[in-house]
Amino acid sequence: MAGTRERLREMPRPVPEMPTAAVTAARRLNRAAGIIAASVLIDSAMEHYRGNFHNKAMWTPLVTSSLSIAVSIHGVSDKRHGAHPVRDLVYAAAGLVGAIGTGFHVYNVTKKVGGFSWQNIFYSAPLGAPAAMSLSGLMGFLAERVRDSEPEEEPELFGLPAGRVVAATTAVSLLGTAAEAGLLHFRGAFHNPAMLLPITMPPVAAALLGAAAAGDAAKARKGSRLWMAATAAMGVAGVAFHAYGVSRGMGGWRNWRQNAFAGPPLPAPPSFTGLALAGLAALALLKEHARE
Amino acid sequence: MSEPPRYPGYDVLAKRDTPSWNAKTREVIEQRLATPNVPRFFSAEEWAIADALCRRILPQTDDGDPVSLVALLDAKLLADHGDGFREASMPYMRDAWRLGLVAIDGEAKARHDGRDFAVLTDRERDALLRSMQAGEVSGKRWSGLDAKAFFARRILVDVPALYYAHPNAWNEIGFGGPASPRGYLRLGGDRLDPWEAVEAEPGQERAAERENHHVV
Amino acid sequence: MSSDPNLEPRATGGRAPDVFRKGGWVPMREYRESEAVDFAIVGTGAGGGTLAALLAEQGFSVVAFDAGGYFRPMEDFASDETAQNQLYWTDKRVLDGPNPIKMGGNNSGKAVGGSTVHYAMVSLRFRPEWFKSRTTLGYGADWPISWEEMWHYYGIAERQINISGPLTYPWGPKRPRYPYRAHELNTAGKLLAKGCEAIGIGWTETPLATLSAPHAGPEGKSPPCAYRGFCRFGCTTNAKRSALTVWIPRALAAGAEVRDLAMVGRIEMGSAGRATGVQYHRDGGWHFQRAKNVVVAGYAVETPRLLLNSATGVHADGLANGSGLVGKNLMTQTNAAVWGRMDEPVRWYKGPPSLALTEHWNYDDNKEFHGGYCWMGQGPLPNEWVSVQTGARGLWGEDLRRAMLDYNHMIGVKMVGEMLPNEANRVTLADDLDQYGLRVARITYAWGENDKALVNHSLEQMSASIHAIGAKDMFRQGDDTCHLGGTARMGSDPRTSVVDADCRSWDIPNLWVCDGSVFPTVGGVNPSLTIQAIAIRTADRIGKLAAAGEL
Repeated sequence: MAGTRERLREMPRPVPEMPTAAVTAARRLNRAAGIIAASVLIDSAMEHYRGNFHNKAMWTPLVTSSLSIAVSIHGVSDKRHGAHPVRDLVYAAAGLVGAIGTGFHVYNVTKKVGGFSWQNIFYSAPLGAPAAMSLSGLMGFLAERVRDSEPEEEPELFGLPAGRVVAATTAVSLLGTAAEAGLLHFRGAFHNPAMLLPITMPPVAAALLGAAAAGDAAKARKGSRLWMAATAAMGVAGVAFHAYGVSRGMGGWRNWRQNAFAGPPLPAPPSFTGLALAGLAALALLKEHARE
Repeated sequence: MSEPPRYPGYDVLAKRDTPSWNAKTREVIEQRLATPNVPRFFSAEEWAIADALCRRILPQTDDGDPVSLVALLDAKLLADHGDGFREASMPYMRDAWRLGLVAIDGEAKARHDGRDFAVLTDRERDALLRSMQAGEVSGKRWSGLDAKAFFARRILVDVPALYYAHPNAWNEIGFGGPASPRGYLRLGGDRLDPWEAVEAEPGQERAAERENHHVV
Repeated sequence: MSSDPNLEPRATGGRAPDVFRKGGWVPMREYRESEAVDFAIVGTGAGGGTLAALLAEQGFSVVAFDAGGYFRPMEDFASDETAQNQLYWTDKRVLDGPNPIKMGGNNSGKAVGGSTVHYAMVSLRFRPEWFKSRTTLGYGADWPISWEEMWHYYGIAERQINISGPLTYPWGPKRPRYPYRAHELNTAGKLLAKGCEAIGIGWTETPLATLSAPHAGPEGKSPPCAYRGFCRFGCTTNAKRSALTVWIPRALAAGAEVRDLAMVGRIEMGSAGRATGVQYHRDGGWHFQRAKNVVVAGYAVETPRLLLNSATGVHADGLANGSGLVGKNLMTQTNAAVWGRMDEPVRWYKGPPSLALTEHWNYDDNKEFHGGYCWMGQGPLPNEWVSVQTGARGLWGEDLRRAMLDYNHMIGVKMVGEMLPNEANRVTLADDLDQYGLRVARITYAWGENDKALVNHSLEQMSASIHAIGAKDMFRQGDDTCHLGGTARMGSDPRTSVVDADCRSWDIPNLWVCDGSVFPTVGGVNPSLTIQAIAIRTADRIGKLAAAGEL
């Protein structure tokens, strides 16, 4: 490996023949951002359609998530070092729109009779949903920062090794997303044991990433990588579970105009997949950091 | 009725083949719509009185496709589909109707020089019914039947329900209609599911009609 | 081609309908008429259906009779008010007294599953003090069961029925969490809430016996509520937790037999002062089923009617009537309402009719009358709504059609109010005969001064509530009534009650009553949960008595 790096240092920028660990991680983070943005696009489209787009602002997340998907696809195929200004702009906008959306949703909940009550938390605008938009922006932001380093340098964020920052950020994101899933599964009274998965597996993933962020970077993390893969798979399986849940509504899929919107949201679970991929990127960066 | 339709273009029957209707509902409504417009319980004379009565209790004078309420009443009495109970002072439903119709006609003849109830003007019939409702009508021709009670607890209980069990009425009031297996997704009064009736804002009747013609 | 449940019995030939599967059947054990079963239960509603399941699960042999048909909700129910009158008891009855009680869809079902097939699923607990109304609140009569014991059985009932309710309940002692979460409020529910807040009283999401999430049990799977709004006309979704979807399937699985379209006309007595079985009409003829115990669960009109119709030489005043109280102390509940029109669209036809309620006036004793009431949101479908317009306002003609156009903008709040027991309010036998040749019930009722005071208070409160949120053209509906009780009251003294705390009649040791007839007081809440809780307790007590050899 050392010989390879020597050869890389001699070549002109910007396209190394062997992708650096930083670029690989960045592209993974672009992919994570894109998957989460895709989940947000379909979820916000469905939920805002259910709300009849009664406020024009409800179109905004469809626009920003579409743009986020586009720049994420771009970023996944981009093997160069250096942050891309357009990607940065779109990701920043996504983060901002998510924060504003949270404000809208909080207002929607608190203005209803009963205010901040279980009834409104369950059935009015979901408080955690716009945060997913911000998460995709955040993952994209991390992607660009990780990429924004010299090929021979180790990527850093806020003066810390990138791997630690991405791991910690992803851990917190996993906990937040698990809480949102937990809230809605609690609303569904955990009527099916599989509903426990998104409140057990992601917190374990978060704990493993937290330990990785704080601990010895040299420690082999094969178990953690396997758990990230399992959590990613859980996100995909969640779509199948939710499809089953839609079929459990009266009239099943034939009554999709009611059940696809009343039942468990099909596009929601893949946000865990996106975050799990970000976790894998973090673990790879840490492994790289350990080698330095 | 001379008012412009509140839900122009809305037709509950257009949803017959959507998930809003199930097989049993289609069967029941088809049967109701196919009620023969001939007396099967009433005699010809009773039918004429009942028809004239129904036309005042639930007028459909300006309607393009009026519902024959007397036919539905006749069918209901034939099948004896009522509440079942009688108040101590009243006979059971079928007997009450036969006695009541004869008495109403007798009342009309007494008030209007021997003219049948069925040939009185709208105003004359309404006046007679209003005095029944007010308790101003009684006498031997009522055969012990309390005219005020007959009006309130037979006529008003049985006749309006016939109209409001018909799709015409549901369209008129913008009721969602049959709803199985598909119920409602958006529970707010101001949030409509695409299969609900759009109410016409003043000046927006065309737009409402266009939306109501689009059936999902 | 499936049979008509109103014409041909379906629970025959060793099988009964599986209400969870279209066209499906479950095996059903059948018992010979000539061999005495442990329990013959008359009526399969909130009392009889529950008891049938729990006795069968304890190993007793049970045959449960119902005069009504065995419906398959997913196939037999139309989305149509008129057609669904098939769920109500529309056999002949005579209404009498200064304030005759309206019978039918508001209190009388005829189906396997009883009135729970058409009920609005409101599942409320009694206020604890009501179990000792006379001693603690100074009116009515004391129950011979403590509130603590009933609290225990309420918890079991709520779990088994799978009530969907709020995470915290504003009134009464702490209760365990409802198994499923409360439903989403429609606009009608939200307006009730706003109205309550506007006059400074609390409100809550109604605990409802309909699923807010899918449910899968050993007997079958149910989808959650589809918010179709036809709850009181039969739930085609099977989300409604009625005796038909909860208790009867369990009874069948545990070896009980259900006989539908089986009208029990007479309970036969033996020479030893014990009941020997029931005469019932089925398949065009009369039959006799021998039984070691007979439970009457026909609700507050049919139960006393059967006991009176079973009179013999020895029991000239009807069975179990040593106290003379069978049929007496009939109580209904007042059901007054205030209606109004909102500028905003409400469209109350979406979802269960009573998604929100207030029990404030059940717990606030700052009133000049006895008893309490709650009030809840409303969502009448067109036929029911037109009957309010004609009944409460006397509208007809053009005026009626014009008024009905405002259907989608209407709001209503309707109370359930306690009425006091009065021996003069009673069920007796009329001379009219029904289609089986049996004397029908005469239901005699008069409101008392306390009842009127309570209703007037409620009308003022409800008016203030919806007026405060902008309802216009308001009108009142003052004389409606709903659920029943009292005609075979339970007590601790055989001179002043018909059954004891175990629902066992004082006079005839193997004759029981297990339905709303046993209520000494009727409370200011819908009775279905209390009836089921009593049935669960009775099943418990029967198990213990049997083990002690005291049956």
